[in-house]
Amino acid sequence: MSDSNNVGVKAGISLKPTQGYLEETVPPFTPFLAMEEAARCLLCYNPPCSEGCPADTNPGDFIRAIRFRNFKGAAEIIRSNNILGGVCARVCPYEKTCEGACERSGIDKPIQIGRLQRFVTDYEKSTNFQVLDPPKATKEKVAMIGSGPASLSAAATLAMKGYPVTIFEEKEKAGGVLSYGIVPARLPQYVVDEEIEYVTKLGVEIKLNTKVGKDISLDEIRKQDYKAIMIGAGMQITRTLPIPGKELEGVTTAVEYLAKARSNDASFNAGKHVVVIGGGDVALDCATTARLNDAESVTVLYRRTREEAPANRQELEYTESLGINFAFTLSPSIFESENGKLTTVKANGTRSKSAMKIEADTVVFAIGQQPEDFSKVIEGIGFDKNNFITSLENGTTSVPDIFVAGDIDIDSTKTVVNSVQGGKIAAISIEEYLTKAGRKQAFCSPMHPEGGK
Amino acid sequence: MAKHADLSIDFLGFKCENPFFLSSSPVSGTYEMCAKFLEAGGGGVFYKTLTTTIPEECSPRFDVPRKEATPFISFKNMEQTSDKPYQDNLDAMRKLKENYPNKLIIGSIMGMDEDNWEEMARDYTALGIDMLELNFSCPQMTYEGMGSDVGASVELIDKYVKAARRGSHLPLIAKMTPNIEKMEIPAIAAIKAGAQAISTINTIKAISGMDFDHYTALPVVNGKSSISGLSGKATKPIALRFITNMAQDKELQGIPLSGIGGIETWEDAAEFIMTGASNVQFTTSVMQYGYRIVEDMISGLSIYLAEKGFEKLEDFVGIALKNIIPADDIERDFKILPKIDYDKCVNCGRCYISCFDAAHQAIDWDNENRKPTIDEKKCVGCQLCLQVCPVYDCITPGKILFKEEDQFGKGSKTIWKEEAPNKHDIIVGKYDKP
Repeated sequence: MSDSNNVGVKAGISLKPTQGYLEETVPPFTPFLAMEEAARCLLCYNPPCSEGCPADTNPGDFIRAIRFRNFKGAAEIIRSNNILGGVCARVCPYEKTCEGACERSGIDKPIQIGRLQRFVTDYEKSTNFQVLDPPKATKEKVAMIGSGPASLSAAATLAMKGYPVTIFEEKEKAGGVLSYGIVPARLPQYVVDEEIEYVTKLGVEIKLNTKVGKDISLDEIRKQDYKAIMIGAGMQITRTLPIPGKELEGVTTAVEYLAKARSNDASFNAGKHVVVIGGGDVALDCATTARLNDAESVTVLYRRTREEAPANRQELEYTESLGINFAFTLSPSIFESENGKLTTVKANGTRSKSAMKIEADTVVFAIGQQPEDFSKVIEGIGFDKNNFITSLENGTTSVPDIFVAGDIDIDSTKTVVNSVQGGKIAAISIEEYLTKAGRKQAFCSPMHPEGGK
Repeated sequence: MAKHADLSIDFLGFKCENPFFLSSSPVSGTYEMCAKFLEAGGGGVFYKTLTTTIPEECSPRFDVPRKEATPFISFKNMEQTSDKPYQDNLDAMRKLKENYPNKLIIGSIMGMDEDNWEEMARDYTALGIDMLELNFSCPQMTYEGMGSDVGASVELIDKYVKAARRGSHLPLIAKMTPNIEKMEIPAIAAIKAGAQAISTINTIKAISGMDFDHYTALPVVNGKSSISGLSGKATKPIALRFITNMAQDKELQGIPLSGIGGIETWEDAAEFIMTGASNVQFTTSVMQYGYRIVEDMISGLSIYLAEKGFEKLEDFVGIALKNIIPADDIERDFKILPKIDYDKCVNCGRCYISCFDAAHQAIDWDNENRKPTIDEKKCVGCQLCLQVCPVYDCITPGKILFKEEDQFGKGSKTIWKEEAPNKHDIIVGKYDKP
């Protein structure tokens, strides 16, 4: 991030970033550096970093394992708690989670927990260390809709308990937001592919190009003997603003822009003068994507101040170091065109009477996302007006065999790490449901017609 | 979960859950302390040594030498035997055995004279604990004829082991001092007198550092200090040599060894076991980090052994002994030249400095480009450069050169060739690679 040597902008003069679009920004730790960093760890009593991890990845224990040269034990701690350990190591908002809780900050600065986690998961891969050894999948079949982090996590958890799991994915590539919604500079595709392979090696099947509601209906899934179904479909739709000119060619959404760039679609055109609207991590990913794909000028327009922006601070600094412009407390008012082509974004101050005019051939909306409408596909469960599913406790819904996890769950905090945890919790609910149902069945045998105690 | 090997191992007839024990020391001084360690997964405890007379202690009593910013490279302490009432300690040991029947509970004793050794051995035996350790090795006792004085005297060892034997039928483990050249001599004396096993090392007599205002050693006890015992990571190499010497001694074959000295990680423990110890004990690392370190010892060693295909820990005991040979048997007919990876080199020049100032002036330094180059003719393959290089995997072992048959006798110029005479495979060691 800010200490990266891949960025060609050192003295604040931005010409062209030396970093390629597909290159990971943060270099990996060598074993020496990992040991040095682990040696900075205070090895706290009841480590607050572990409390700070939403997915119980347990940094306190895995950093201690590194410190005591038990690298494989560290891998075991990470992987057995977080199947997407390598992904989370790269995309977690650490400053709000583990690193935010780090007591070392009282001396100087927090331990770089994400980078240590990456070191361990890289080490695990480079040594072919097999952490997870699933039992035979002999239990009831479970289906998942969408192959993003929530489903991958839930599927892995269930596979480890002996359930055969099938994931239905509408796209040609698995991973959901991981494969389509994050800039490779933060999360290279090979990392996503390796972790998906990890899950499939546990016996989980992923059916690509299969959209539930179009290629297969919920009833058909049930008829195929799936005893529980989890929805982990994420958020597919970027919100936009009702601004004059929003139908113009050149106005697009974060979901579309990132996905096109990431799938290396030949039709992807980053734009020459790009304006990104929003102040979160997705907005930064769009801006970085534009910049690393040779956009000449990139401006991020955000309606509040820099301090109020929800984006990760390190990412924000990194984005700034790439020579991306930020315009705060400004909101777009009109997209102007010439001959049907976008030329200018006009913006007005949200807290002053300022006004701004920015040359633009591309505008990307990154002001938040929401799920697509599943109410016709899955009946009987609750949706709010923005298509989020109103879950009950622990990923259950008002329909007993339907569960939910990840961004589509109204209670989720919309981060990858939160989806990992949501998937684990939903998996436990699924297991509880299936064992209860199984027990009921067993008790209703001829020997005990009225059920057992 | 990944495959983990079974770490259980026999020690004098007791089936230990794993080979990780607290040594008799400040970290094993009460019931609660020992119990917490056993709950954390430890295989057993050597309860802190008792004397029937409670010693007077000083304050402060520790010193923690550093190297650069790293504390605890070793540890100096002036504490003696338990400062708690004798009977309370006996009760604690009895309760430990009652509550943890599957863990190894060993009591450590230090008598003043033969009668006292015998009497203490008798008291301990009545507790139902598993074994007795005879402390012949504490270097900071304030009473003469106790501690490491005993460990250096074959006569005293003989007398006191026999006395303890008169008081107990339990297995006896003699804890030896490293403040001696050949530990085999007192160890053999202890075995001949009736001990069944040896544990070592106890601390090394030392001065860890000086106070520059009060002109005394550390720690400063009202302006004065004493020579006392040093432990911790820096003592491990010394301990390993004692263990190796004893494990290789003909007269000590079959005598179980319990290894002590600077054990902090599973790798440290494995080093003792490879050189012949069938279990290990530790204290200093617990003082710095707490009992929880045993969790990573268990995890790390069991994963390692499983990956290496060892079915039981016992098969690993002493596995390195055959490869530790006298210096005059070491092959000296080849050299391994270092190789610099210039993509990784950060141009610091540390290899150049060390080679010039401390080795064979075999690295040339291009000052303009800040680039080191190895002169293959001058390089003797000592690999000091590789050890000082701060960048991971930058300088590594490279080309191997073999000595040409010596045609002109001793002192003639050696000719090096890349081809090995008689197809010679050279095993290259690891350099801090995880």
